[in-house]
Amino acid sequence: MRIELENISKRFGDFHALNEINLSIPSGGLTALLGPSGSGKTTLLRVIAGLENPESGRILFDGEDTTASDVRERRVGFVFQHYALFRHMTVFENVSFGLRVRPREERPSKKEILERVNDLLHLLQLENFSDRYPVQLSGGQRQRVALARALAVEPQVMLLDEPFGALDAKIRLELRRWLRRLHDKINLTTVFVTHDQEEALEVADVIVITNEGRIEQVGTPEQVYEAPANPFVMDFLGHVNLFRGRVHSGLAYLEGIELPAPEHHAAEDVPAVGYVRPHDLVLERKATGSGSIRARVERTQVVGSVARVSLTINGNHETIEAELTRDLFLKLALVKGEIVYVRPRNVRVFADDEI
Amino acid sequence: METVAPPAISARELTRRNTLSEPAMVRWLLTGVALLFLGLFLFLPLLAVFGQALEKGFSAYLAAIKEPDSLAAIRLTLLVAAISVPLNLIFGVAAGWAVTKFRFPGKNLLVTLIDLPFSVSPVVSGLIYVLVFGLQGWLGPWLYNHNIKIIFAVPGIILATIFVTFPFVARELIALMQAQGSDEEEAAMVLGANGFQIFWRVTFPNIRWGIIYGVILCNARAMGEFGAVSVVSGHIRGLTNTIPLHVEILYNEYNFAAAFAVASLLALLALVTLAVKSIVEWKMRSPRPAGRSAQCASS
Amino acid sequence: MLSGFRKQNVLPGFVPTVGYTVFYLSLIVLIPLSALVFKTAGMSFDGFIRTITAPRVMASYKVTFGAAFIAALINAIFGSLTAWVLARYRFPGKRIIDALIDLPFALPTAVVGITLATVYSSNGWLGSFLEPLGIKIAYSPAGIVVAMTVIGMPFVIRTLQPVIEEIEKETEECAACLGANRLQTFHLVIFPMLLPSILTGFALAFARAVGEYGSVIFIAGNMPMVSEITSLLIVTKLEQYDYSGATAIALVMLLASFVLLLAINLLQRWSRRYAEG
Repeated sequence: MRIELENISKRFGDFHALNEINLSIPSGGLTALLGPSGSGKTTLLRVIAGLENPESGRILFDGEDTTASDVRERRVGFVFQHYALFRHMTVFENVSFGLRVRPREERPSKKEILERVNDLLHLLQLENFSDRYPVQLSGGQRQRVALARALAVEPQVMLLDEPFGALDAKIRLELRRWLRRLHDKINLTTVFVTHDQEEALEVADVIVITNEGRIEQVGTPEQVYEAPANPFVMDFLGHVNLFRGRVHSGLAYLEGIELPAPEHHAAEDVPAVGYVRPHDLVLERKATGSGSIRARVERTQVVGSVARVSLTINGNHETIEAELTRDLFLKLALVKGEIVYVRPRNVRVFADDEI
Repeated sequence: METVAPPAISARELTRRNTLSEPAMVRWLLTGVALLFLGLFLFLPLLAVFGQALEKGFSAYLAAIKEPDSLAAIRLTLLVAAISVPLNLIFGVAAGWAVTKFRFPGKNLLVTLIDLPFSVSPVVSGLIYVLVFGLQGWLGPWLYNHNIKIIFAVPGIILATIFVTFPFVARELIALMQAQGSDEEEAAMVLGANGFQIFWRVTFPNIRWGIIYGVILCNARAMGEFGAVSVVSGHIRGLTNTIPLHVEILYNEYNFAAAFAVASLLALLALVTLAVKSIVEWKMRSPRPAGRSAQCASS
Repeated sequence: MLSGFRKQNVLPGFVPTVGYTVFYLSLIVLIPLSALVFKTAGMSFDGFIRTITAPRVMASYKVTFGAAFIAALINAIFGSLTAWVLARYRFPGKRIIDALIDLPFALPTAVVGITLATVYSSNGWLGSFLEPLGIKIAYSPAGIVVAMTVIGMPFVIRTLQPVIEEIEKETEECAACLGANRLQTFHLVIFPMLLPSILTGFALAFARAVGEYGSVIFIAGNMPMVSEITSLLIVTKLEQYDYSGATAIALVMLLASFVLLLAINLLQRWSRRYAEG
C-alpha cells in the first residue's frame, strides 16, 4: 500500500516536531526514517499510525484520505520501541489479542485464531514459546512476539519504532538481516524509524532523512550516500573531511587546489566548503600538479583490512582523516611525521549559503 | 493542494480521544463520583472539625484551649512526642544502616519484624504493656515494691507511643537507602573516610529528606495516638491525659465545643504534617536524576 | 557469631547497628508481644476456648469483620475509581485534593471519631438529610462502616495510584492499534494489570479496619451484640479487671492480623509476578 503525506505539521508547545512534511512512501517497500533524536522521525511514524494527530495536512493510504480515521480503522501494525507486550498475557494471548477483540461478526473462530497464530509463531520461530510470559523471554524473542502480534491482524502497513534500539549490538546485526529476509517474504509496506545510519543503509530500500522536523532527502541507500543533497545528509551518513575555500564560476578553490564545481557555475567568488569521505582521499609521495594538498602524517592505525591515517594540513592547524586499504598502506610504508600529498576525489562542494 | 479546515481537526481530535482515552462525559462522571466520595467521607468531616470548634465564637474557642486541663494535656503530648520520636529516629537510622549496608542471615525476618507494630491493633498494643508492667503483669509486683509506676502513668504512655510509631522512620530509611545502594559509601571508604565521616558526609546528606519524612509521620501518629495510649493511661485528668484522651473526655461530658476546639489543634497538626509531607515528597523527587527515581520505583 | 559476618561486610558499623536494632526491637516489640502469648498459655485450654467463643465475643467478631469487609469493599470500588481519576485526569484543585488523601493517616482517630459522629448524627450536617430518608448512620452498625471506610481510604488509592501512573502509554496505544476499543482495552489489558494491586489495597484497608478502635467507638453506639467491636470488648474486659479474658481475645485479634499480614505479603508478591527481575 502506498502512503502519501501532504503538508503535515505538528507542534508540541513551541516545538515544531513536524514542519510541512510532504512524503510518498512506495508500496511494498522497506522504508527507513533516519535522523538524529528530536528530528521528528518518531512523530512522523505515529502520525502515519494515527496515534498522533497532525495540526494540518492530509494522510492518504492508496489515495484514500485517512487523516480523520481512528487508529483502529487504519489497520496498521505498530511495533513499539520497547515492544509494549502485555505482561499478564502469554505469547499466544499476546499474538491473538488483535483477533480476539474484533466485533463478534468479524471475529474468526477459535480454531481459525489458533491456526493463524500458530502459523505466525512458526514464521517467526516462536512455536516453542507459545505459553511463556514476556518476562520469560529474551530481548530478541520479545521483539519477534511484538512483530507477530502486529502481523496477526493482517495490517496494510507495518510501522516499527526503533525496532533494534533496545537490543545488544550482536543480536541487532542478526535481527536486521532477518527482518530484511522476512520483509522479502511477506512483502508488506514497512516503515521503520532509526537513528543508526548503518542500519538504514543496510536494510532499507528507501531512506528518508529527517532533521529538525523537515525532510532533508529521500532516496535509495546509494543515492543518499553517494549523492547527498546537502551538508547535513553528507555529515550524518558517515565521516567527512572539510576543506574550506571559495567557488567562482564553476571552479572551487580549496586549500590551494583547484577543482571543477559545475553546479556552482553562476557563483561569484563566494565562500564554500568541500566535503570528502575519508576513503576518497588518495595519499601520494609526490605532488600531482595543482590537485593535491601537502600534509603531515600524525598517526596511523590498521583495523582489519582498513588503515586509517590522521594528517594535518594548513601548517598543522587542521586535521583530516584518510582511509585506505591495508595493502596500499603497507606498500606506501607511511611513517609518522613524514610529508605526503593528499589528492581528494568525489569532492562535494557546497557554498556557504547552502550550509 | 487542498487544505484542511480547522473544524475538521477538532472533530478528529475527538475520535482519537475515544480510542486512547475515555469520552469527556465518562471522564467528568468519574471525576464527579470520586470527588463526591472524597467530599462525603473526607473533606466534609475535616470542615466540620473547624466548624464545630468555632461554633460558640473565637473567644470560647480560645478559652477551651487555655483551660488548665487542656494545657496539661498539650504539655503531656509534647513531652511524649519529644521522647518517643527521637528514640525511634535513632533506631530508624541504625536499622536502615544495618539492613541496607550488610548481608546477614535472618535479614528478611528482621525487616518483617520491624514492620510488625503496624499490623497490631492499637488496643492490643496498649494491652501488651499492661501485661508486662501492670500489677497483674510480669514486672508488676517488683515495680510495686520499688514504688515505680509505669502503667497508668507517663512512662506507660511513652512506651505505648513508641510501640505504635516504631516502624515509621526505619521503614522509610530502609526503602530509601536500599534504592540508593552503597556505592557512595564504599567510594568514601576507599578514599580513607572513617565510619562517622562516611555517615555524616556521604550518607546523611542523601537521606536527610527521608529522615524528615519519617519523623513528621512518626510525630503525627505519636501526638494523635488514641487506642494504645487509652489502655495504659488511666485517664487521670491533668496528669495522664494526652490531647486525644482529653478530647474524648470533653466529648463524653457533652462539652462539644470544647472537645472540637481541642480536636482542631490535632486537625491543624494533621494539615501541617500533610503540607510538610508534600513538600518533602516534591524535594525528594525533583533533584534526583531520572535513573535513581526509576530505581526507587522498581524497588 | 556477629564478628564472623563482620568479615564479609566491608562497611563499618555492623556490630553496633545490627546489635542495637535487635536489642531495641526485642525490648519494645518482641518481649511485650510475647507476654500476650505467655499470659494466654497460663489459661486452661477450655477456658480459653470458652472465652473467645462466648456469644458476646462472637457477635463482636461478626460486627468487626463484617463492617471491615464492607468498608474495604467500598474502598476497593470507590478508591480504585478515585485513584484512576487522580492518576489520569486533570481538574482544578487536583494537587491539594491529592495531598489530602493521606488525611486519615495524619488525623488522629479520636478526631475522626467525634467528627463523623457529629456529622452523621440525626442533627448533623449529613445526618439531618439522611435521617428523614430512614437512613440512620451514627450509633448503628452503619456508623462503624462509615468510620472504617474513612480510616481505610488511603490504602487502596495509594496502592493503586502509582501502578496506574506506571502503565506505559504504549500499552494502551498498542491495544488500540490492534483494534481494541476503549472498553476492551480497559477490561482485557488495564484491569488485569491493576487487579492484584486492588486486592492488596483491599486487604490493607481490611486489616486496618479490623484493628480500628478510636474512630469507631464514638460513632458505633457500642451496643453489646449489635454494634460492639472486638477492640472495645478487650478494653471493657480490662476495665472490669478481667485480664485473662482481655488477653485471650487480644490473642485472637493478633493472630487475625498476622494472617492478614501474610495474605498481604502473598498478594504483593503475586502482583509483581510479571515484573522484571
